Amino acid sequence: MLLHNIWIAWKSLRRSPVLSGLIIACIAIGIAFATTFAAVRHAFTRHPLPDKEASLRYVRLDNWDPREPYPGGAADALPPQITYRDAMALRRSTVPVRQTASFRARLTVFPEPSVGRPTKEDVRLAHADFFQMFDVPFRYGSGWTRESDEKLDQVVVISEALNERVFGGRNSVGQTLRIETRDFRVVGVLAGWLPSVRVYDMTGNALSEPEPVYLPFGLVVPMELRTVGNSDGWGGRGGSPTASFAARLASGESTWVQYWVELPSPADEQAYRSLIESYIAEQRRLGRFGRPTNYRVSSIGTLMDDFQVAPKETFALLMVGLLFLVVAAVNLIGLLLGKFLARANEVGVRRALGASRRDVFLQHLVECQVVAVLGGAIGLGLAALSLRSLNAFMLDTTSRGDLFRLDLQMLLLALALSVAAGLISGIYPAWRICRLAPASHLKV
Amino acid sequence: MHVGPILRAMLRNKVRFGLLAIEVALTLAIVANCVSLIIDARTELSRPSGFADNDLMLVTATPFNEAFRESAYRDTVVDQDLTALRAHSGVARATNTAFLPWQGGGSSTQFRRDVRAERIRTQIYPADEQLLDTLGVRLVEGRNFTREDVLRNTERLRALNASDRERDATGRAITTVTVPAIISRAYAALVFPEGSPVGKTFEDDDGDRWQVVGVVEYFFNPYAWKIGEYVTFYPQRQGSYEGGTSYLVRVVPGQMDAVHKAVEQTLASVNDTRTYRIRTIPDVKRRFLGGQTLLVRLLTLVIVVLVFITGLGIVGLTSFSVAERTRQIGTRRALGARRGDILRHFLIENWIVTTLGIALGIGLSVALNLTLLSQVDGARMTPQLLAVGALLLWAAGLLATLWPAMRGARVTPSEATRNI
Repeated sequence: MLLHNIWIAWKSLRRSPVLSGLIIACIAIGIAFATTFAAVRHAFTRHPLPDKEASLRYVRLDNWDPREPYPGGAADALPPQITYRDAMALRRSTVPVRQTASFRARLTVFPEPSVGRPTKEDVRLAHADFFQMFDVPFRYGSGWTRESDEKLDQVVVISEALNERVFGGRNSVGQTLRIETRDFRVVGVLAGWLPSVRVYDMTGNALSEPEPVYLPFGLVVPMELRTVGNSDGWGGRGGSPTASFAARLASGESTWVQYWVELPSPADEQAYRSLIESYIAEQRRLGRFGRPTNYRVSSIGTLMDDFQVAPKETFALLMVGLLFLVVAAVNLIGLLLGKFLARANEVGVRRALGASRRDVFLQHLVECQVVAVLGGAIGLGLAALSLRSLNAFMLDTTSRGDLFRLDLQMLLLALALSVAAGLISGIYPAWRICRLAPASHLKV
Repeated sequence: MHVGPILRAMLRNKVRFGLLAIEVALTLAIVANCVSLIIDARTELSRPSGFADNDLMLVTATPFNEAFRESAYRDTVVDQDLTALRAHSGVARATNTAFLPWQGGGSSTQFRRDVRAERIRTQIYPADEQLLDTLGVRLVEGRNFTREDVLRNTERLRALNASDRERDATGRAITTVTVPAIISRAYAALVFPEGSPVGKTFEDDDGDRWQVVGVVEYFFNPYAWKIGEYVTFYPQRQGSYEGGTSYLVRVVPGQMDAVHKAVEQTLASVNDTRTYRIRTIPDVKRRFLGGQTLLVRLLTLVIVVLVFITGLGIVGLTSFSVAERTRQIGTRRALGARRGDILRHFLIENWIVTTLGIALGIGLSVALNLTLLSQVDGARMTPQLLAVGALLLWAAGLLATLWPAMRGARVTPSEATRNI
């Protein structure tokens, strides 16, 4: 019966190609806009590490000026990162099963002179746990050990692209790479790692690619490394590049370290929170943390909201896209009504020959679904095309060209929206046509 | 013409006319909000920086030679770099600064008139005596920095930061310095509302005094915390071993490409133990404004397609309702109604529907606007915008009805009775 109805629907489409074309185009355009804008929003809100939502936590502490809140409007706003000394203090805790401090520096990498000139590279300083915490994939080797963290071993993990450039793409584990004035032993090469947002560092541009070089965090002291990211501070010239290195590390309230911990259970998280509270209380006795106690232990999802990883405009686009689909659906009701009522005579004959109202109703509803799915498919095609041009635009302005895509979720969404649009637009016209009295449409 | 019969006829077809009204309402809501967002975005896009954006280029040279850790060595190279850059025929000006326009950030700090006053945040950048001319900003009061200012102040700040400063209980340094400063007029108006700021001072948290020597007319560099128009420049050589040395270069108009190609070679001829990064400000600006540009394009597309679809919808529904009433039209014509009467009937009918839709749409627009504003920074919906939207929809509605209505008016009495 269903197949028969689909066949009738197909015949009906072929019979009035212009009107059918308009109807399908109407759905297609509505689906195209809604899906495109939903995919744009989705690109920024998609969770990069869903498995880690429950256990990974990012720590923020309000060490700001007692006289005024951290700028940004909200009374409970706090700096996006923590100070070096707080990071070192937190690190003494054994509650987290894994933890890493991290920040981004920019250092000179010296390939063999025969291979190329020295280049400046973004470098991520992190602890050994970093690689496991963020599910970093390796082509060769692995991250360094906790022991290397302790002993300040000069070990390095490099990206696949850098390995290609400096070592010709071969397995470079065990090779030496000179960075600034020191020689590092390569322990791992990443396998094309590109999370949808730079999950471990959402300060600054969260869409940046991961850094090509990774070094043990402890080297910050002997190498006198500075962040190239945000370093909001207060008191003295906290953020000033002219302050001496030692002064910035040991004292000062300049915040430039990102701190992540892995807490397997809610009980651990509770324990960790009370640990932070007692740390703040202890520091307060030393004259720090003059503001009301304010700290956050946030999951990746929460952090994405707090740091507004998704540009706010994408929300406006999503709303506009969905409303556009509603307009298309309303339009569709009119078009379907016209199409169905034009066939009143034929329906009259069917009814006179014994088709029930239900049969007629279902037949027309199926026709609506056929049209909707057809239009939805075309709309998806249009959405794929527009996402391609959006990607090209993004590649031009941000150097990320793979951001927007139709993943399974988006395909399902498009399908659901098409079916819903067909159903909502189809019910009234189908109901109208099945209520027609057959007699008035039969020639006497 | 009586409206009564028209209304009664419409009431017999509530759903059809209701649909049309809803479509008009949604269209008004979407278009008005899109236009509101576009206006906001365009304000951002067209905001001038006050600089000669099109002719500016930022060149950063980062050393991989330990000798650059010595500030004296670095200073010598900076002077040689600037001489070499200025010697290029395509270069109009060159300055040593950390200021990079249009990247959406920079550095900032807070100052206040005295200990009791409120702190006011400003962007802050080191500058040399060539910065203002290179940017192309106009000094409206006081004087520019001199070479002497730059050299003396650089020495002093270096000496100050060589060791930790002694501080009193409130965290202020025991011995303080006075730093010359050039500020933007917008910042001057905030800190010194009473009038000319030249010669006056404000202070930082260390207790160091900053004395205003000059005021620039206008400055805008997009920055969080809404401090885009506030700036303080102070004289200092910029550069470090880690971050390298940055130069802002203003090219002779039309010479951007030529200078872009030559600049690396120019700096390499001074000292080749460095890596270079060259960014043109038009490119930096284009990237910074990329999101807004894209938003404007997408919303414009939405408006065009939406108005088209709604127009089609109105044409479709009116054609349908004309076709359905062929017999009534014929009867009316036979009873003496003229073509004009029929045409007017359909136009008035449409006008009523559109007006209903517009009334509904104004409510929807405000609701949608409030929803968006809860997530997006933007402007409130203005009555003017709604009024313009309503007028346009009235016009569009009439236009879209005209063709089917005229077809209806052409129905002859005989046609109506010919076929049942």
